[in-house]
Amino acid sequence: MREMRIFLAVVLGAALVFTTMFAQSVSADVLGNGSAITDCLQIGKITSIGDKQLTIATQFEKKSKNYTLHLLPECYVMTARRGEFKKFKELKKGDLIAAYGWYKDGKWNARRIDILDKNDYLIKRLAADAKAGVYYKHER
Amino acid sequence: MKRTVFFSLVIVAAMLIGVVPAQAKKTILTPFDKRDWHVIAPQDSDAPLRDYAILYDAGGVDGAVGVIGIPSMRTYRHIRCGTDMHNFPFSGSNAGNNNGTPDGKYFYVSDKGADTIIEVNIQTGWPERIFALPKPFGIHHSAALSPNGKYLWATGELTGHMLKLRLSDGATTVLDIPPAPSAPDYPDTGRAGKYVFSGNYYHSAVMVFSQDPFKLIKEIPVGKNPHGTNVSPTNRIVAVCDKLSATQSIIDVEKLKVHKVIPVGAGPLHNQFDTLGKYNYISCFVSDSTSKIDMQRFQLVDEFPIHYRVGHNSIAPDNAYYCSQNKFSTGLFTPTGIVFAVNFELQDIDETSATYGKSVKLIPVDGEPHEGRQIFATYIQRWNTGKGQEMFSKGYDLGDVHISFGEKGRPGLPANIHPQLEPIHVGNSSRGWIPRDDGKPGITKEGDVYVVRVKGFSYGYVPRFIHVPQGAKVRMIYTNIDKAAGLTKNPDVTMGLAVGGYYGPRTFLIGVRGFSAYAEFVADKAGEFEFFCQHFCGPIHLEMRGTFFVDPPGKQASLSVGDYDEISKQEQMLDVREHEFIVGTNKLRNTLNEGHEPTI
Repeated sequence: MREMRIFLAVVLGAALVFTTMFAQSVSADVLGNGSAITDCLQIGKITSIGDKQLTIATQFEKKSKNYTLHLLPECYVMTARRGEFKKFKELKKGDLIAAYGWYKDGKWNARRIDILDKNDYLIKRLAADAKAGVYYKHER
Repeated sequence: MKRTVFFSLVIVAAMLIGVVPAQAKKTILTPFDKRDWHVIAPQDSDAPLRDYAILYDAGGVDGAVGVIGIPSMRTYRHIRCGTDMHNFPFSGSNAGNNNGTPDGKYFYVSDKGADTIIEVNIQTGWPERIFALPKPFGIHHSAALSPNGKYLWATGELTGHMLKLRLSDGATTVLDIPPAPSAPDYPDTGRAGKYVFSGNYYHSAVMVFSQDPFKLIKEIPVGKNPHGTNVSPTNRIVAVCDKLSATQSIIDVEKLKVHKVIPVGAGPLHNQFDTLGKYNYISCFVSDSTSKIDMQRFQLVDEFPIHYRVGHNSIAPDNAYYCSQNKFSTGLFTPTGIVFAVNFELQDIDETSATYGKSVKLIPVDGEPHEGRQIFATYIQRWNTGKGQEMFSKGYDLGDVHISFGEKGRPGLPANIHPQLEPIHVGNSSRGWIPRDDGKPGITKEGDVYVVRVKGFSYGYVPRFIHVPQGAKVRMIYTNIDKAAGLTKNPDVTMGLAVGGYYGPRTFLIGVRGFSAYAEFVADKAGEFEFFCQHFCGPIHLEMRGTFFVDPPGKQASLSVGDYDEISKQEQMLDVREHEFIVGTNKLRNTLNEGHEPTI
């Protein structure tokens, strides 16, 4: 009986270990869970500005997340509404931006920054949807 | 009395207020509109003199790329490129939606008829280089740029191949995609530098490749005959238009499997995500509509009717307008000749606009346009007021970022030259129309001429296989035997026949009802060449195929027997003095150092 208990404990323990390993080896469950660092588009408000880097707090999600964006040398800044090019130094804390780029070697590399217009219909739509419980990047 | 005076004064005051003219609606400049010269104010006029965006459309059979203003929908010009232009990315990066993140230097447009990719300089507005793809290939699309902008992927729809191209010199890696029949079609690249996705309509699957090293990873079964296959700007999903299933398959980019299938309009063809990935707009050919999908809910949330059989589509860079690029114009416009104009329809997609969901412009368009992409006008500099010299020396600025063409030129382009290439549209053949020929389909010999009679219909050819000996004088007579387009019943259906590649510029037959089209040429290069319909004729148009074999002496031509090294030089496309602007060819086939060609 004791051997049986030990045997069962070993089997269950092994099953637990394998389950954990398997769970780590399969792909991340990104869809439906809000923004991920691996996303290639982040929408957020600028919370701090450094030397060619920005920190944003994501918007329209269930829970805001903070990401630091490192600007690639070829990254430009423009207005999303009419495509007017801006200087990096013209960005301000509190600006709502969309950043396009990719995650590589532990850094989120920005290739383009769009300054969003809060009066744009898409921004109004994202805000209204979030208020109603349909959050950005929480796909159903 | 006092009360009467008081009330009278009140009434007079009220009347005075009433007659004060309403203040004219002012155009208010916001900080967003502070200009450089072409950042324009929102205008009350629906036909502004200056457009804030430009739509480039690959014009298909007119061999040109159209340049159209948004929102005026006026055609500014055409850029002559080749024979059968299909689609393109802007140079820069693929970050974002289909319009990408341009640097304003080039776009790369595929020429299905001549089997090449043309590099067009956006700042000069002329072709500068021709990428001569390794043969046999049979390109359809070159839609996919790498995130770092150094590589391009193209689909060899006509031979079942995929290709990765290095833009600096035209070096390639070519993959064979079995099992036959195989038709890799619309590709798109993951924005994170990891995957390339491409529909394969014969396999009813989406193929997944790694970007570096470039190799096939898996096929994901989707709906019947997948068409547009596009990665969202967030890089979280791939949207696939299941053309014959009236659904959209949503592929999870992390798990590489179908996450959801959404019912959409009938005959879904192409996707346009807005820049934030909130909505995806799908052109639906059979239901004559635009399906609007909410990408948070994965639901169809709206549908806009459009006129006349939409094919491709494009979206404005500020998401304010959507352009349906339609394939037929039955009865709509004044006749201008044998080939009718198709039409573009601009739709207002601003949800706060009074005309939301309505078509606000409809214009005739020549050719049979394929993919369109839009770019803010601010990328294109004003070179013609004396500062043209700077294009060679200084370049231009996009905010903090300096863009330069390089003072010393670059591989494949001599120093200090921006060539003005005009690739040959139709060369070394004689073509025209004759009264409808009702001769039996097949090959007969009349004197020393091989007379090839081909009949075209929705959706096929008779005969499908044609053999002529190398060196033969060929007279190809092509007759459209349809009474109306299959499924859609448009009575003005035109059936095309183009032999892809070397014989593309020599054939390109336009089968108008009531006429027969002919081409006479010498079949001087051996090989196996797919022929296809270059005039959109209905939902199965892409699947109209046949094969033209030019057999060398004592052998039968195949994809491995033919003059492919010679053909790959594409020298027929340019004047002999311009051959230095042709790069690539079979010499650079499979010369990329895969695994060491990073894409981010």
